[in-house]
Amino acid sequence: MSAPPPRVTHGPGEPYVGTSVPRVEDQRLLDGRGRFLADLAAGALSVVFLRSTEAHAVIESIDTTRATDMPGVVGVYTGNDLPLARDYIGSLHTPDPGFVAATGFRMPEQRLAILPVDRVHYVGQPVVALVASDRYLGEDALEAVDITYRPLPAVLDPSASLAPDAAPIHPHLPDNEAGRIEVEFGDDVAADAVAVTVEGTYRIGRHGAVPLEGRGVLARVDGQRVSVWTSTQIPHLVRQGICEATGWSVDAVRVVVPDVGGGFGTKANVYAEEVVVPVLARLTGHDLVWVEDRQEHLVGSAQGRDQVHRTRLSVDREGRVLRWEDDFLLDIGAGGLWVAGVVANTAIHLLGPYRIPRVRLRGRAAFTNKTITAQYRGAGRPEACFALERSLDDAAGRLGITPVEIRRRNLLTAADLPYAQPLPYRDGVPIVYDGGDYLRCLDSVLELLPAETVERLAAEHPDLTIGHGVGCYIEATGRGSFESGRVRLTSTGGFEVASGAASAGQAHETVFAQVAADGLGCSLELVTVRRSDTDLVRHGVGTFASRSAVLAGSAIRRAAEQLLDQATGRAAQLLGVSPDLVKSTASGFAAADGSSEWEISWADLATACAPGGAQEQLGPLDVVEYFHPETVTWTMGAHAAVVGVHRGTGAVSVLSYAVAHEGGVEINPQVVEGQVIGGVAQGIGGALLEQFRYSPTGQPTSTTLAEYLLPGTCDVPDVQVRHLGVATPCNPLGVRGAGESGTIAVSATVAGAVEDALHGLVRVSETPIRTGPLRAAAEQIRREGQ
Amino acid sequence: MKPAPFAYLRARSVAEALEMLGASAHRDADAHTKVLAGGQSLLTLMNLRLARPDQLVDIGGLMELSRTFEDTDSVVLGALVRHRTLETDPKLGKRLPLVAAAAGQIGHVAIRNRGTLGGSLSHADPAAELPLAMLVHEAVIHVESATSGRRTIRAEDFVESIFTTTMQADELLTWVTVPSARPGQGWGFVEFAPRIGDYAQAGAACLVTVAPDGSVAAIRAGLLAAADRPLVVSEPGDEVSGIPTHETWERLAAHWTRNLEPLTDDPDHTRHLCRAALSQALADAYRRARTDQEEAA
Repeated sequence: MSAPPPRVTHGPGEPYVGTSVPRVEDQRLLDGRGRFLADLAAGALSVVFLRSTEAHAVIESIDTTRATDMPGVVGVYTGNDLPLARDYIGSLHTPDPGFVAATGFRMPEQRLAILPVDRVHYVGQPVVALVASDRYLGEDALEAVDITYRPLPAVLDPSASLAPDAAPIHPHLPDNEAGRIEVEFGDDVAADAVAVTVEGTYRIGRHGAVPLEGRGVLARVDGQRVSVWTSTQIPHLVRQGICEATGWSVDAVRVVVPDVGGGFGTKANVYAEEVVVPVLARLTGHDLVWVEDRQEHLVGSAQGRDQVHRTRLSVDREGRVLRWEDDFLLDIGAGGLWVAGVVANTAIHLLGPYRIPRVRLRGRAAFTNKTITAQYRGAGRPEACFALERSLDDAAGRLGITPVEIRRRNLLTAADLPYAQPLPYRDGVPIVYDGGDYLRCLDSVLELLPAETVERLAAEHPDLTIGHGVGCYIEATGRGSFESGRVRLTSTGGFEVASGAASAGQAHETVFAQVAADGLGCSLELVTVRRSDTDLVRHGVGTFASRSAVLAGSAIRRAAEQLLDQATGRAAQLLGVSPDLVKSTASGFAAADGSSEWEISWADLATACAPGGAQEQLGPLDVVEYFHPETVTWTMGAHAAVVGVHRGTGAVSVLSYAVAHEGGVEINPQVVEGQVIGGVAQGIGGALLEQFRYSPTGQPTSTTLAEYLLPGTCDVPDVQVRHLGVATPCNPLGVRGAGESGTIAVSATVAGAVEDALHGLVRVSETPIRTGPLRAAAEQIRREGQ
Repeated sequence: MKPAPFAYLRARSVAEALEMLGASAHRDADAHTKVLAGGQSLLTLMNLRLARPDQLVDIGGLMELSRTFEDTDSVVLGALVRHRTLETDPKLGKRLPLVAAAAGQIGHVAIRNRGTLGGSLSHADPAAELPLAMLVHEAVIHVESATSGRRTIRAEDFVESIFTTTMQADELLTWVTVPSARPGQGWGFVEFAPRIGDYAQAGAACLVTVAPDGSVAAIRAGLLAAADRPLVVSEPGDEVSGIPTHETWERLAAHWTRNLEPLTDDPDHTRHLCRAALSQALADAYRRARTDQEEAA
């Protein structure tokens, strides 16, 4: 089933879904009228956090006396001063028992203290919270807090952390294993069938989201309730985290999401600061705000990636994959509330978009004394993709076929799909790739960016040696368990839409309005999408894992349809005609019985529902729906890159990039394209520049943006995107997730292109790609060329 | 990221700025006063609390130090001339094309709009562009003090080590005299950074003087980010005989970088980058000198 081709403009009577209507939030966000967390801070006192300066240490004493006497200080609080029911934040994801049984998945309970009083586990961990009249005085006073640490050896290497004799970092646990998984299927492969076996060790650096806006929390006490504004992707999970830690009733906590300047997974996490600020607001009675600064962000916000894969791939004479083995290791730092998700994601996505008959995977996550982790855009998928795609390139080279050819021989085609894997997904449902034709993506991306592009670009860049690379990925999107959607008729005849899937800038206000308008059959202008607020929808999960369009979109669609259904009945009643004569129009309803015609607008209907109206007793038109998908739906894509390696320095420039991806129905094609291009930019950052580095004693050394290098506009070329839509039956919209797609295959694709540029003289096996070895290879090529 | 407390003084004249610096040095030898000009390095370091001056003397309002004067053989630049002016002013660019190119490599436009020549030289970051350009140009730096008066310091003697100059605490950098480009002289400036606008991993600047017959009469070349200060690496004894080729520059660059001990994680890689930057800068300078000669002829 092919999705309809995208339309650029919206014609009368046509659905809005599938149209690139302009993003309604852009005007506000781009001209400076967005209201971000820090814009709400007026009148609030400042909370500042004293963060651990030690990677691993026993806290021998904390003396806050001097700080308490400093100018402007309202109070200084340690973990002992917080009235908490539980002093840690619980895991945010537990896999289905069916998945656990099939994969031997295990993880211990993490109990990283909200404000530790006895032991610190990473530099940047909040230890003391201080309330001051402003941030300047607050930071001055932090210097007067006296903490005595007794340093412990910092564990920074995940292999050493998992060694049998390693001391546990977390005293309540027997060892440092944060999670494990094993996947094995297929029959043994006959030795004589194997033509080539390649082994490799692939390292994916410690990267992070580093959104434009950091985190921030504002709390305001109002009688029995506390309202919390936080820059998050998951307001309902934050509410849950606050309630579990404090023992407060869910009814006593409201979490509101203001405009959010990017999340990418680092804000799909519940943080100590999100608990401490409302607790202190209660304790002090003041409105309190904490706005994370960039230095705090780079040591205190959740990071990602940081995996090592030890792989073994066997192919036959034709390059067909026979056997794929990977033993991988994740460094989750001092903790990660999504460890189950990232471990399972890595394992599942190691299966790739290929026919692989025999698979043996083992993964382990290790605690170390580094900053905490969460799910960073891709969350295991880019890492898995890097290991598998790099291994395929290696095998192709050994067989003497091209990287394109080995993929062509292994990719699943229309004849193979839908394709069942002998493994359940994390939700316990057996994995079935619900795609159309994955080979078509490879063909398509090569049309966009053929290997011959190298010659043209070589002529334009004599100082560079040029290469072409490809990479393919698969992505499970739209994971459950559910998401909420609410549609309500306002008193003036418009509609308000709300969902638990909070926007971090992804155009929810536009695309959810498109979905609702189609469900209501009304004009788009009538629909307003509200920012997420737990008072607007009582239940919800959040925005991450490429799920919002799929789940929230579907919930909103159903809520809109139900509201239309209810409204049709009420319109018929008001008009005194049979409901089957009533048709919806862009502005309301019309009915005709042959001799007479009637019309009633949404505003008329709203008036009828209001106090004093004819249908007052029926109550407002207000529908909440929860969409529970049966399981995930799969997106696949192929990337191609042309890169240049500088002959004198080894520096890599990505000169041209293309993505062909098999998504589903596109609610707004331009928004999808933006997501893909943004993902590629973030992928280029990880491939070439970004790395959270640590000194041998565990001191982070990437603590400013002069050290943690993000890709700028000059580092990201124009990206061509081709969408090959295949609607999925998994949800009423036929959509597949696209939020992470763009980033997954970038490191693998760029690495392949770099090797091609250097005639295979180097093997690229880590990100970010180190330029030193490339320079040596480029020099060798130059010498031999002379 | 808020600075530690500090006192703030804004000078209305050079004389007043000197008095402020002198008074603070006199009052308390341990008191730490910093001059604030464009603030592009100092304010960042203060916000990180890596710099904790007790007092700032803001000279940003001293318009007289924003001026430039053109002499016959040199250009005199005020301490407050902005990087962006050095980069884009057509008259300065004609007299000091190497300085213009170096200034254009500093950070991003917003930084260049605020950052000043005097600030960059006083900050003495070994990876900075303008200290190297001044070194290669054999510029003379003028400093002034309320008590000890005026003196000049050769660019070669100005930087003591990383972030440290030979200026006294009560001295203010006021003017810089830069010998301007001469006929037959070509310039080269090449910098490698992970991204445009980043601190340089390596960089080279040079002035190559070419005789009418195409032979090389003189070379002055230096490197940034290769030590604790900008370095002159050209050695007058290493004459280039005949018409230079690509290999000439490669050989010279290799020779002049052979003893470098860069203070980086990977000194060998940095040494290679220095060599590549220098070789390209030399080749560029020679090519520009020849092009100018051909156009003049």
